Amino acid sequence: MTIAVRKEDFRYDTLRARHFGGSRLDAPQPTMAEANTSPRPVTYAGRFAAARQELMAASGRGEGGRNALRQYSHRMDALVQQLFADAGAASHAVAVFALGGYGRRELCLHSDIDLLVLFATAISAEDERFLHAFLNPLWDLGLTLGHHVREVREGATLENDNPEFLLALTDARAIVGDAALLEQFFAVSDRARTATRTLAALKSLIAERHARFNDTLYQLEPDLKEAPGGLRDLFGAQTIAMLTDPGLLNQGGAGARALEDAEEFFLRVRSILHLESKRHHNVLGHELQERVAEVLRYGGSTPRQRVERFMGDYFRHARSIDRSLRWALKAAPAPVGRNLVRAADGIRFVDGRAASERPETWLRLFQAAIDGGCGVSDDALSLVQQNAGRFTPEEFLPTAAHRDALLRFLKPRAGLYERLSEMHDSGLLGQIIPEFKAINCRVVRDFYHKYTVDEHTLLTIRNLERLIDPSRPERERFARLLGELAAPELLVLSLLLHDVGKWTDEDHASESTRMARQLFDRIDLNDDARAVVEFLVSEHLKMSVVAFRRDTEDPEIVRQFAELVGVEERLKMLCLMTLADVEAVSRETLTPWKEELLWRLYVDTYNYLTLSYSDEVIGPGVSVRADLIDGRPADLSAEQISQFLEGLPRRYLQLFRRDAVYRHVRQAQHLGLDAVQAWLEPSNSGWELTVLTHDKPFLFSNVSGALSSFGMDIQRGFAFTKPNGIIVDVFHFTDDERFLELNAGGDAQIVKLIEDVLARRVDIAARLKGREEGILRRRLPVFAPVIHCDNEASRRYTIVEIVAENALGLLYRVSRVMSDLGCDVDLVLIATEGRRAIDVFHLTRNGQKLTPSQQEEMTDNLQRVLEGRP
Amino acid sequence: MKLIKSIVRPNKVDEVKAALEKLQISGMTVTEVRGHGKQKGHTAIYRGQEYNVSLLPKMEVEVVVPDAMADDAIRAIIEAARTGEIGDGRVFVIPVGESYRIRTGEKQS
Repeated sequence: MTIAVRKEDFRYDTLRARHFGGSRLDAPQPTMAEANTSPRPVTYAGRFAAARQELMAASGRGEGGRNALRQYSHRMDALVQQLFADAGAASHAVAVFALGGYGRRELCLHSDIDLLVLFATAISAEDERFLHAFLNPLWDLGLTLGHHVREVREGATLENDNPEFLLALTDARAIVGDAALLEQFFAVSDRARTATRTLAALKSLIAERHARFNDTLYQLEPDLKEAPGGLRDLFGAQTIAMLTDPGLLNQGGAGARALEDAEEFFLRVRSILHLESKRHHNVLGHELQERVAEVLRYGGSTPRQRVERFMGDYFRHARSIDRSLRWALKAAPAPVGRNLVRAADGIRFVDGRAASERPETWLRLFQAAIDGGCGVSDDALSLVQQNAGRFTPEEFLPTAAHRDALLRFLKPRAGLYERLSEMHDSGLLGQIIPEFKAINCRVVRDFYHKYTVDEHTLLTIRNLERLIDPSRPERERFARLLGELAAPELLVLSLLLHDVGKWTDEDHASESTRMARQLFDRIDLNDDARAVVEFLVSEHLKMSVVAFRRDTEDPEIVRQFAELVGVEERLKMLCLMTLADVEAVSRETLTPWKEELLWRLYVDTYNYLTLSYSDEVIGPGVSVRADLIDGRPADLSAEQISQFLEGLPRRYLQLFRRDAVYRHVRQAQHLGLDAVQAWLEPSNSGWELTVLTHDKPFLFSNVSGALSSFGMDIQRGFAFTKPNGIIVDVFHFTDDERFLELNAGGDAQIVKLIEDVLARRVDIAARLKGREEGILRRRLPVFAPVIHCDNEASRRYTIVEIVAENALGLLYRVSRVMSDLGCDVDLVLIATEGRRAIDVFHLTRNGQKLTPSQQEEMTDNLQRVLEGRP
Repeated sequence: MKLIKSIVRPNKVDEVKAALEKLQISGMTVTEVRGHGKQKGHTAIYRGQEYNVSLLPKMEVEVVVPDAMADDAIRAIIEAARTGEIGDGRVFVIPVGESYRIRTGEKQS
């Protein structure tokens, strides 16, 4: 709700007071130290009149310049503090800030008073009362008040606020109350966007204003404030410098000294104008020119001579301001983040002194350079180098948000190697990750390595980064793998750590792993990420050994290697890590010959993991199973766990963490023939649905169809069927239509539909019809689908591999074709890589592999469905 | 003298080297090569699509031995490099007329 307290005077904002029924918060009282120490005046009016009298006297002497205005602003501050104290307590922390010219302490006799009243939380009725009590006396004094009322949380949308408010805010200065609120207000804002918008608004206001004066400063009756070369131009130049580079006005234009002189001159003249015209009047008309020349004691025998000399000075100062503004507009670096700008020599801090005390902001310097495709400026690097040693690793990454930012920074992108090298050279990398310091310039003598260990490590990251835009066609296959990784930053982190153990001459992979664990604890890496990085660091030599020194045509070698990596994602990461690592040894080490061997091992292992895993079922000898039994919770017996795991592919154990396995075991107990256990949980990038039930025809297609009917996009998943007919299906999906977000109890609705569909109470085909027609009508797929049947890779199953453009309901449609032909869908692997869906089905029909003619019929049917033909 | 040129599986190079060293043959040239023999490569499948791998990575090991040692060396190479499967490779034996040591210019025959 918006309420105007007194409408006649507000310019940008109305006073916004919100009523919230009920509670009053016991908020901390605003600090009023200054207010309480000031002598209390007899009346506000008396105090105000005394301050004005003082400024009028100075203005009359031609001394209404910077000092006089500062003094007047100071007296106004005391008045505001007194009013604040007398207004009684607000229910929440609140503070008052001076904006615009008042913020700069250049309050003129008839200037508006711009105030920001900032509340810590939502404004209550009590706060509204406080506002009335605080603001009404200011109006009663006849002041022209521009007031803005904000809550701290509104900083989040600051960039969209009124441009004039944004500009006034650049001069914000605390007068009374909890001054920290302004920092909190900015902290929730997007500073780079706000600064960019402020600058853009400033530029466009300058252009509009200049156009009104025909773009010339040589006005015979100039407006001191508005005309080109006037006070607004001066503040404009100062604001540009403040937002982008405080030293800007020293580097070009008229120079800082000339600007100071110009400002003093303009302020003195303006004070005389206000005094003489008794109002907010800034136009230097001919009559006033004579009066000002007289007050400022210009020499000359006639008024005309005096005016000519005075106006000569006016145009000289106006030219200085104009020159500096033009320079600022031309040379100002662009804001790219909080306290960060992009200058000609790269990203730099706006306020270096403030930055030197805030190490947690330094990573953003390098992130901004990567984002902007440029470097970090030399002065920013020097600042980092000079100060990095003063801080502990924790001070660089004090919060979870900072630690997440480090991981985001490590995403392989063009420029990452160069920025990491700058961080390393300036000592920052070793301060944030002390483990890396252990290999600083470390020399290990062998016949292969050509570079120090630290540089070798950074080069591995450069090699990975170069894969993004591969130089040779043979590299494109590896580049595709990189594009498919869900968390490529973990690969970079692993590369960064893989050789840190080389500080010792002992087994470096083990030492690197030990050191990596220290880092995991410090940056509080989640369990899944830890497991991946630890695996890659500890096994980083394995793939090159197998690829280059073992007989990879021996299926047993591939089987063992597949067992080591476990799942496709790790295989891809290890493959890329090996490629990057070997290439970083020397220019000659990674030959096309080695690349081919590496790729072949990748393909063989990938095929094993996706096609042949069904033959490896869990038996009594699997050590993970013993671990699971030993570490079981009290409510599960060893027998229950053994029974559940019996006959499942070993891959199951690599896909699920211990707690998930126990949950499956628990839910599988006493699972009646028609019972369905299904639950939804949020996962990393979406949701995860788990279904345990007894197998029945069309089960897989019905469950995937039920999800699709809610608009869910299935990204990854697995389906396992145990020999006793119990199935475990897991689907990772994204909720692009935000069904679960917008519908409380939406998860229960999905589970209910699955139960209804499996119990044949709902016909999923009918439910999906509308959606499917929409999809099939939309357009032809970008690439032709691939369907491949294989009767060799598995002893028990026919394997159908489908690579097709991902689309809503794809899984439902293809698995339905299989079920329609009487096939049992026993095992499924679902993967999505970009727009490509890669689904592998393990099928039997009447317990047997499919015959060639059955395969042909199914391929034809699948082809038809994938091409959207009836 | 004979030049014995062997094309072997990459993973068999260490065993071939060890076998030759046992015969006191230590000078050798090892090169990464790609090619195919009778098998003409094979077809691999990745994500449902077949692709032909016609040039397979192999290692070429070259040694020059006195005529009297040639048979032993050839036997040692074959024994070390054999798996019994297709793709084990080939051994070529070429007569060498003269040989010079570059450092000294000394001729060896």
